[in-house]
Amino acid sequence: MARKSLRVWRWAAMLVALSVLTAGCAQGGASSGSVHLNFMVWSYGIDTIQDNIKKFQSSNPSVTVSLADTSWFNYHDTMATKFTAGGAPDVAYSSDHWLREWVSAGWIVPIDQYCPSLASYKDEWAPYALQGMTLNNHVYGLPYYADMVIFIYNDKLLKQAGFDHPPATWEELTSQAQTIKSKGISQYPIDIPMKKDDPWTIEIFYSMVYGRGGHMFDSNTNPTFAESGGPAEQTLSWLRSAYASKILDPAVFESAEPDVVKTTGSGQHVFTVLAKYNLAELNQGQHAQKGNFKMALMPGSQHSTVGFVRFYSLTKAAVSHGDAAVKASCNFLQYFGGKTDGQYKVVKRWAVEKGLGFANLPLYDDSDVSKSINAWGNVDLERQQAKTANVKEGLTRWWGTWDIYAREQIDNAVSGSSTPSQALQNMNTKWSQLKS
Amino acid sequence: MQAEIGLRPNLVRRWANGVPAHPWLTVAPVLALVALFTIFPFIYAAVTSTRQMILTLPDQTPFVGLKNYLDVLQDASARQAAVNAVVFSVVAVTAVTLLGLLVALLLNQPIRGFGILRALVLLPWAIPLVSAGIIWRLLLHGDFGAFNGLLLQLGIVHSYIPWLSSRQLALGAVIVAHVWREFPLPAILFLAGLQVIPPDVVDAATVDGAGAWQRFRYVILPLLKAPLLIVLVYETMIAVTVFDLVYVLTGGGPGSATTLFSWYAYAATFHFLNLGQGAALSFIMAAVLLLFIAIYLRLLRVGRDDT
Amino acid sequence: MAAAILLGLVIALPFLWVVSASLQTETGIFRRPPSWLPDPVTIDNYGYVFTGKIPEAYAARGLLRSTVTQEAQYLPIGLQNSVMVATSVVLINLLLGTLAAYTFARERFRGQAAAFSFILTSRLLPGMAVAIPTYMIIRQLGLLDSKTALVLIYSAFTLPFTIWVLTLYFRSLPRDYEEAAQVDGCTRFQALRHIVLPLAAPGLAAVGAFSFLFSYDEFLFALLTTSSLNSKTVPVMIATISVNPDASYTLIAVGIVLSIIAPIILATIFRRFITSGLVSSLGRA
Repeated sequence: MARKSLRVWRWAAMLVALSVLTAGCAQGGASSGSVHLNFMVWSYGIDTIQDNIKKFQSSNPSVTVSLADTSWFNYHDTMATKFTAGGAPDVAYSSDHWLREWVSAGWIVPIDQYCPSLASYKDEWAPYALQGMTLNNHVYGLPYYADMVIFIYNDKLLKQAGFDHPPATWEELTSQAQTIKSKGISQYPIDIPMKKDDPWTIEIFYSMVYGRGGHMFDSNTNPTFAESGGPAEQTLSWLRSAYASKILDPAVFESAEPDVVKTTGSGQHVFTVLAKYNLAELNQGQHAQKGNFKMALMPGSQHSTVGFVRFYSLTKAAVSHGDAAVKASCNFLQYFGGKTDGQYKVVKRWAVEKGLGFANLPLYDDSDVSKSINAWGNVDLERQQAKTANVKEGLTRWWGTWDIYAREQIDNAVSGSSTPSQALQNMNTKWSQLKS
Repeated sequence: MQAEIGLRPNLVRRWANGVPAHPWLTVAPVLALVALFTIFPFIYAAVTSTRQMILTLPDQTPFVGLKNYLDVLQDASARQAAVNAVVFSVVAVTAVTLLGLLVALLLNQPIRGFGILRALVLLPWAIPLVSAGIIWRLLLHGDFGAFNGLLLQLGIVHSYIPWLSSRQLALGAVIVAHVWREFPLPAILFLAGLQVIPPDVVDAATVDGAGAWQRFRYVILPLLKAPLLIVLVYETMIAVTVFDLVYVLTGGGPGSATTLFSWYAYAATFHFLNLGQGAALSFIMAAVLLLFIAIYLRLLRVGRDDT
Repeated sequence: MAAAILLGLVIALPFLWVVSASLQTETGIFRRPPSWLPDPVTIDNYGYVFTGKIPEAYAARGLLRSTVTQEAQYLPIGLQNSVMVATSVVLINLLLGTLAAYTFARERFRGQAAAFSFILTSRLLPGMAVAIPTYMIIRQLGLLDSKTALVLIYSAFTLPFTIWVLTLYFRSLPRDYEEAAQVDGCTRFQALRHIVLPLAAPGLAAVGAFSFLFSYDEFLFALLTTSSLNSKTVPVMIATISVNPDASYTLIAVGIVLSIIAPIILATIFRRFITSGLVSSLGRA
């Protein structure tokens, strides 16, 4: 009697366990004929994105889109987890500095191959954007937005110190900053993000090197930054002396982009180097000094800077979901990164509403766009800077890993716990290690 | 023993009593659930640590034996992280224990209104670590920290201090946030320990002419040995695995000043995407923790089968 | 006494600042030094989270642009998720944990010591070591981005502690009452329900509070397995908002305040139980 009950118990328990384990395997069924896409972004302007999705869905009734997001700081690592352990979305944001890594790992696929109708858009992109999305003659995305790192200064405080023009070289910046400091206008006139986990740290360093007309890598992607006395070393030395002479905010190592924006906006600093959309924020956001900020060409003999592009990518997950999913994804990409009724509707919306830059050159001719840019920036100066904007060099499969190591070395050099040349040597060694 | 001999009749009797036919029925589901999230991941981590597994090279996962472990031992940054962890642990555990003890001594006094204080003491420990970390960031930031502002207003400093940007101060700042968050635990344990000390013992010492310090040193402290040992071991385990705070406050910086070993393992896994090495690092941490747990269990004497 | 006041300040000041910051204007908190008493006071940030009404100070002249992050509006949903997950974990702990603990305390069976030791040492691996394999398990079960996944993981993490505490607790209760009840004809289970549990109420309250706090406060696994509002919990949300360039720091402060209300209430109400639970589980030699 007892034994039989025991057996019944055991079977019941196993059935329960089995059903629990398999319950999750049943996928929520979409209605027949409709396609479901997963779209992954980093957490910025989610409301706007969802509104865009709604509009897309209404004009594509057979497609439903689910949006997921995670913070920009985590984005790369979260996506790496998803691509390898599963759960990857069909369409996802990506960035030029991850392109090689994601392509060589097979995580994203060429747009020109899977969505041939979208291939012609590339003719309308800024050169640095096209470069940032192309690998081995294949294009891997449509731009979400493209922008540059620029030099920003507080015009009002600058004039207060008696200067009538922004600095054209880093040496001039040093002397202007020292004057401003001695006049008590700002305790630390220069502030840039150098927090170790802020991805902007490396982009800004690159921009400063480019400004001097320098390079970080040669055309064969070999490191040139460790060259003794070269532009990278000069940049690090300049940063080091700015820190030592206290014209650079000592809190830079704990400041990420938002911190720099807010404290500069409150009037604590006069000069900074940031992505251009921050100029829109500084002049229109909730800041004590709002409206006083202007852009200048990147200091240095060449005034060159970093241009970057963030784009919508088509993932291997979409391909594995079949032709219907790919086709729906292509329509999705078309809506978000391409033209609807002859207009780049979504890109224009980001530009006008949020001040995000764009890769699609025709938009400069749009009067709405240039008017909105001039409300906080300077269209002509922006176009001029764009001419000398370059992609980040050295974007190989392991660049992302090297980047994290490099930021730490840069911090060490600037704070004085290492020397510029030592830091660059370490970065060089690490590069060779990762390459092998 | 008895149960084993009389298994069958026992079963029948207990079944009649309405007890589940076998005790394992209530224990098994729990064991299964726990095992699912401990044994499988543990084995996976063990296996992974013997392979080279870099997420951006998904097709090359050769077996490399102990290479990952050797790499860690030879890596200067790993050694630095270990040193940081040791420094952090020693200072943090000492601070937390001392503060806990002082607070317990304070709160042991039957003064009116201390009830509120006793309630307040638990709060830092209850809130999410991420929230605590962000609060401390808002307090300590070199450009807008409210604590800096307070120091400025009180005239203690004439300029904001970049706590989290200075190599020397950053680790201290993390320790401060950690201590603020952790001290309620030792405080409660010591308080409970103090409350079971018979007042006659202390009174006798006073009668014998012992001063406050002597009373503490020779009467109270010896009686607190048990909670003291437990606090030391437990807090060391916590200090070794500190992670959330580093994540929110410093991200391991500036430079590598606050890169503790646990953070280093996280970075290896999720930043450098080197799963093999991350698994090896976690294993090393696990070994250290296992040692502490063994000591801990010894102390509690739960290892012995007592019923 | 001065020491008591100092202690009170040390504990309270961080909380006071974050509450103050949540009621200030953005330009206000960036003054040097910032004022601890909000001046001017504004509840607009709270209003934004709960009603979506954009504070006047944020509206830029002539543009649709709002510089305040919309993500903050989802905080109430995050709170809901957190509370639902935490409550489910508490229930599982109370049900499964009690049964298992009672078995350990009152029964004798083969493999008991091994099972108990396994339970005690099962959480020794640091979270990040098992994070990816755990993620894979969750994905295999089809439970990514679900509250169910979090409930499972957190239950696995909290049950060992619950069982440990309750086992000690049950063992410390004299068997007389249960045996008397059995003589009167109660089954073992009825004895558990009607006699033991009421006596063990403080222990149950303690483990309930712990399980809740652990699940509510947990961050790393929530970060990895959640991706949308279906399951995002509060710690993940505020961590995300805190690095969003669009988020004003006053808004972040609001997020923090909202995130700590539940634990503070819980810790205050259940203070005695938590204390005794901690003492009995950690302090007994």
